[in-house]
Amino acid sequence: MKDLKYLKYFEDLLEDADNALVRQAEAEGDIAVGYTCFHAPEVLLNLPGCFSVRLRAPHTTSMEMATYYMANNSCEYARAILERALEGNYSFLHAIAGVDVCEANNRCMENIDIMQAHGKDKDKFFLSYLDIPYSDDEDCVEHLKEQLTRKVLKPLGERYGIDSSDDSIRKAVEDFNKVCRVITQLGEFRKLPNPPITGYEFHVLTLATYACPKRLVLDKLQETLEEVKRRVPDTDKKYRARVMVIGSEIDDPGLIKLIEDTGALVVADRFCFGSIPGRQEIPLTDGEDALTQVIRFNLKSTQCPRQCAQHRVQNRWDTAARLMKEYSADGAIYEQMKFCTYWSYERAMAGYIMPREYGMHVLSIDRPYIAGQSGQLRTRVQAFIESLEIKKINEGKGEAK
Amino acid sequence: MAYDPKTGKGLGRFYDADHRAFKFREWKGLKDTLYDYGRWMYLYCFMAAKLGPYAPQMVKGMLRYRWLVPYLTAANMVDRHTIGQRGKELQYSHKQFFSVLHHSVIKVKEIMQRDANLNGNSKKAEALRNNTVMFDEMTPSLIMMGFPTLDWIDIAMMSVGMPSEVDQNSCVYYIDAIEHFGLAPDVCPEPATECGVAVTDDYPRVGKCYVTSSMPCDGAVQQTALMTRYLKGVDIFQITPPQRINEPEVQEYAVKNLKKAIKFIEDEMGVKWDWDAFWKNAEMYNQMAECMIEKWDVNATDYPQVCGAALALQREFEFMGAACMDKYMLKTDLEVTKMMHKGYEHDSKLGVNKPKYRCIVWACPAHYYTNFANWADLCWGVRCVNDMEAMLSYLPITIGDKEQALKDLARCYERMMMRSHTNGGYVNLLDELWKMCDRFNVNIVIMYDHVSCRNVGGLHGLFEDEARKRGIHLIWVPHDVMDPRTVSRREMRDAFNKYMINVFREEPLDPTLLDYEDNLSW
Repeated sequence: MKDLKYLKYFEDLLEDADNALVRQAEAEGDIAVGYTCFHAPEVLLNLPGCFSVRLRAPHTTSMEMATYYMANNSCEYARAILERALEGNYSFLHAIAGVDVCEANNRCMENIDIMQAHGKDKDKFFLSYLDIPYSDDEDCVEHLKEQLTRKVLKPLGERYGIDSSDDSIRKAVEDFNKVCRVITQLGEFRKLPNPPITGYEFHVLTLATYACPKRLVLDKLQETLEEVKRRVPDTDKKYRARVMVIGSEIDDPGLIKLIEDTGALVVADRFCFGSIPGRQEIPLTDGEDALTQVIRFNLKSTQCPRQCAQHRVQNRWDTAARLMKEYSADGAIYEQMKFCTYWSYERAMAGYIMPREYGMHVLSIDRPYIAGQSGQLRTRVQAFIESLEIKKINEGKGEAK
Repeated sequence: MAYDPKTGKGLGRFYDADHRAFKFREWKGLKDTLYDYGRWMYLYCFMAAKLGPYAPQMVKGMLRYRWLVPYLTAANMVDRHTIGQRGKELQYSHKQFFSVLHHSVIKVKEIMQRDANLNGNSKKAEALRNNTVMFDEMTPSLIMMGFPTLDWIDIAMMSVGMPSEVDQNSCVYYIDAIEHFGLAPDVCPEPATECGVAVTDDYPRVGKCYVTSSMPCDGAVQQTALMTRYLKGVDIFQITPPQRINEPEVQEYAVKNLKKAIKFIEDEMGVKWDWDAFWKNAEMYNQMAECMIEKWDVNATDYPQVCGAALALQREFEFMGAACMDKYMLKTDLEVTKMMHKGYEHDSKLGVNKPKYRCIVWACPAHYYTNFANWADLCWGVRCVNDMEAMLSYLPITIGDKEQALKDLARCYERMMMRSHTNGGYVNLLDELWKMCDRFNVNIVIMYDHVSCRNVGGLHGLFEDEARKRGIHLIWVPHDVMDPRTVSRREMRDAFNKYMINVFREEPLDPTLLDYEDNLSW
């Protein structure tokens, strides 16, 4: 296929957390709010006058300082973020909407907070520790509403004059939905037998929407959507198997590239920093305040294994199976950031349950934060793709008989 | 002093690399040996009396459940914690440990009475099961204070928590099982063991519904997810107190959640919450908490009395296992508190029994080496005057005011073992340590370095930095909670020895305890 016109542009934006568009937005007077986790409702960090930056640490190599402060058994994502913070890379932030969701993320934020790794002498800066409930009922919604109001919206208003009225939230949702609509439409192409967009390209575009001010990427995203609509896929299918990736943070498109280099096509991205969930339009009604609706939507749509009430656990298995079908995936790669406790358990259970109860072919892997060059990982994925191919051949033979 | 410099005989001679049990019993002088042996006999007689009538189930149980076998070695656990002790110290330990084992034996009996796996089609067992609520280890059963007609059994405490502290190797099989299932070996072995018991189908089926929780760490949360699969067909409620437990604003949610839990039990079991029973049990909880605080107060003086595991384990089981509703535990608590005051008066008057060094224990301890602090005392004279595990919920429950009482109960859940320090932000773990160092007048902290714990590990550097500023000796002792193969008891001692020798330039009080092999022992 012909290269996407703006692919290089979007790739460049992912080279640094403090990228050109972040700097542009700040120069125009917007304030940057960092966050790491889906549980901090992204749309509320994109109220008029502010924008969210989902924190990443591209090209991480050494994590020595963070390892001293957080021990070598801590999640590599959390350590990479702390390392980058200690290096001063997040000093452009005006606030961080932290969440007390997992131990590593929470401790990472506490280390940043105590050591003022966000930059000293920033009088207005604030860092929140949102208490995220474990389920999705109305008590949980109320609880999170109180947390967000007190810890994020109020300080945003008091320190930076950000308006968090109902109208303002509705405007933010409207703008947010525009981006989601484009990403969703792009994602829909992946359901086709021969999609005009690769998993890597899609992930780069999605990541850019997490890492940049949305208003500044929207036009190029829309242009890219039009380009993809017109794009002619290669006549011969280039991929050997279609896979869905499920798991913890992938903010390094190199990992998707590694998977696709083995002959797979990543058709669904059900992981943190992916589009499912995260890039679905938020429906709002007039009968209820927008804040409550946004929070409920977030709690209902999260696929984080932290939610372990019976119905939520079941929801995750069912969602994975549904996505497999919708995207016609041949198999699923359950991946886990090394030392992530939640995904360690989820992955182990999925490896057992999904093949037996849903008939899914599953590869279960753990991986380092920067995994794009991992030869070991490449070998495992290659083997999995081969096994999917063999299964398809065998199934074909069976049908022929 | 158990070490004799003339003969070179010390306590290390009781350990044998080739045997699980001690080579022989310690001679503590006529009076103390008689007392010690009498307690040993009494424990086994008690076990025989309570479990004897269920001999067929016990035999079947031992063939069915690996975790049940270690209970037979319960006396060895007491021996490990009383070795080298004399006089009142010996009595404190025996009484404290017996109250723990007393509760456990009763619970084992209850499991034998109602377990579906052991009782076949027994109608009697079924009726008992229908009146029993099952609990998870990290979920205190305090909520049962308001359900006097129901029974409850903490299935994980009985099959994982207690056996792991009785026999260091009791969890190894289950850890291997869950890792074979696919769980990464770098996660905390405690919830991993609990999951291992599930995948090997080794939990007793003793109740009608199951109450679990979200506490106190990510591993415990995920263990719940696996249990929901394992206990298919059994309704489950997950108590989910807020994380930021220090914030007054979150308490409303905590109480709502607790009310839902009450409703769940009411609906499942067909009974109503009984406030009169709750007040009575809350009174008992308050008395036990009061005893705990008195022990802390005495230990903050120059003459600490109930120290080490005798202090920590008893409180842990009293609160977590028995939910402060065990009358025998309360009786023992009151008795030990009385003895302790007497002991303090004696010691302070004569100026004797001042520890050479004072320390507190911080972070999650090794279940397979609960007597580590006793060893540190005997080998180096470093006496543990308090333990993070004992510093759990101690504020009273308000009697008579229903809404306030529920808030207090929610607070108990928030301040349960581990959670009181691992949740709520770094102030509860990091800053709290320095407060406790001041309160207990210590400058040594046995810092348990649980190699799989991301929670405490996440503050590792800040602990180091701050301790250095304050001139506090943090002695990091690595361990892997339930898995002695990762870090053995011997390696734990070695880490401590190195610090004492290299930093303090100390000589051991008992050189025979410096290095010995006990990988095989219970």
